[in-house]
Amino acid sequence: MASIRVVAELPNLAVIRRFVEETATALKADRDAIDDMIQAVDESATNIIVHGYRDQPGHIEIEVIQEGNVLVVRLRDQAPLFDPTRAPPSDVTLPLERRPFGELGIHLTRRFTDSVTYRITSEGGNELTLRKKVKGEGNK
Amino acid sequence: MEIMVSHQQGRVPVTVFRIKGDLNAETYEQFQAQVQQAFQTGTRCLLLDLAEVPYVSSYGIRAISQAFAWLRDTGQGESDTAVSKGLRDGSFKSPHLKLLNPSRQVLQVLTMAGIDMFLEIHSNLQEAIGSF
Repeated sequence: MASIRVVAELPNLAVIRRFVEETATALKADRDAIDDMIQAVDESATNIIVHGYRDQPGHIEIEVIQEGNVLVVRLRDQAPLFDPTRAPPSDVTLPLERRPFGELGIHLTRRFTDSVTYRITSEGGNELTLRKKVKGEGNK
Repeated sequence: MEIMVSHQQGRVPVTVFRIKGDLNAETYEQFQAQVQQAFQTGTRCLLLDLAEVPYVSSYGIRAISQAFAWLRDTGQGESDTAVSKGLRDGSFKSPHLKLLNPSRQVLQVLTMAGIDMFLEIHSNLQEAIGSF
């Protein structure tokens, strides 16, 4: 398991993406799974920064592990509680530029992963878990 | 992110945005401002060269879609009804905004978001300019 904790600000999205890529690569996940997970993590982290903390100071913790043939990334934050898994499906009849900010991010997170789960941590924060199957055998 | 702007001549004048860097929540406003500026100075056909864009997020997708909407609202021959029908049945492709050389991953994001349904995607600069 590897984890980082970063200040929740947009310039750190690149740091988060790099961390996920390096860790997942070291775990021998396949390229497709890594790229998909990077996209999903970035979308989720963006929503935490923009909609969760809303310019208030805060941190995001990112944890990457492999459970069997599944790449797992957990995002934890202390922003106001919000469960993105309960967001309604995207209104595909709306033009993209009129979709609410954040909604398309949730949509892409769902499309690029195999599962998205949410829970409230014992510290009263948000924890989002993204899972993506990897090809072949991965290291634990 | 940097945007290098050039003006090319095909059958019609085409503005080319050669974008270097990520198109995401941090940079989408800069992109939109550049599109608006181009539009205000007369651009009606815009080609986005995405060859050096390693990453596009939903914010970038939204910004590209906004550019499509701005360029569309020029009153140049496309009725709302015809465009809406074309968007619904997948037969409409924007004559004003086109994309060039997205990477495999960026193309996948464009596809997941449905943007490929109404924007042409080209792999050759001259062909792209000539297609307007």
